Amino acid sequence: MSVAQARLLLKPPRVEGSPSLSASRLSSTLTVKGDLDCEGAIHIYGTVSGMVTADRLVVEAGGSLDGDVVARDVHIEGRMTGRIFALNVTLESAAEVSGRIFHNTISVAKGARIDARMPWRPPSYFETLEQLPEVRQ
Amino acid sequence: MSMFNRNEKDTGAGTAVGEKPGDASASVAAAPKPVQPPLQPVVQPAPEPAPVRSGNAGPSVISKALKITGQLESTEDIRIDGEVEGDIHGVSVTVGNGAKVKGSVYGQSVELSGTIEGKIEAKKVVLTSTAHMAGDVIHQDIKIESGAYIDGHCRPGTNKLDSKPAGKPN
Repeated sequence: MSVAQARLLLKPPRVEGSPSLSASRLSSTLTVKGDLDCEGAIHIYGTVSGMVTADRLVVEAGGSLDGDVVARDVHIEGRMTGRIFALNVTLESAAEVSGRIFHNTISVAKGARIDARMPWRPPSYFETLEQLPEVRQ
Repeated sequence: MSMFNRNEKDTGAGTAVGEKPGDASASVAAAPKPVQPPLQPVVQPAPEPAPVRSGNAGPSVISKALKITGQLESTEDIRIDGEVEGDIHGVSVTVGNGAKVKGSVYGQSVELSGTIEGKIEAKKVVLTSTAHMAGDVIHQDIKIESGAYIDGHCRPGTNKLDSKPAGKPN
């Protein structure tokens, strides 16, 4: 939790255009044990265990993430265990999610396997988030 | 019943609407004809999973905007343009210009254009003109371009570098 200083966890909104400049890609053979902190988009095809802060997080089909996420947009087609703090959450039909999904808007495709509570929060909750709540249930 | 079938092979693109009108007709068409003789060995090429797999594999890219605190392990190529605090195990590891790594880098080949504070252990090492290397380099084959900064020992490694599969320590 070295990331959780007295600063806002949610990334400032990005200007539209040139998303490819800062799109990170973690391929299916890559395993990361640790925290990811990104201004742009992260596509996870592999395995990550740790906390992720990003503008946009995509857990692709076959990818898996074990840890908490703070992002503007979270898009999940793979597996995810942990807490999601995101304004916009999209769970595709192949998604397997367990944990908690703090969201402002959410869409869940038919077929997604969700074992999670989904508390709604106003946008200001995410924009003023400085530290993740401790409760891990 | 077919409406409850999970479409396992679905690529997930645009599946917000679960029921496609094509589903029912597709399953009917795919149903095998009962008169098919089993004597003839049916050779199905069907290399379906392979292309999907290769689409997900390939090089990993740690972009400029990404900072990783922790360990990276891959059996494929890794390109780092961002910042990594921790060890990196890969096959071909490229540390781009402006990138920063604090930790050891292991691989078959390592190309450094950015900064590493730590160790490089690889069969083939290339330090380009913008490289900044603070630490030891264990190599079998090294190239240092003019302009590279290096503060550390360059040692030819023993052939144990050979026996390491994909740069993994075990």
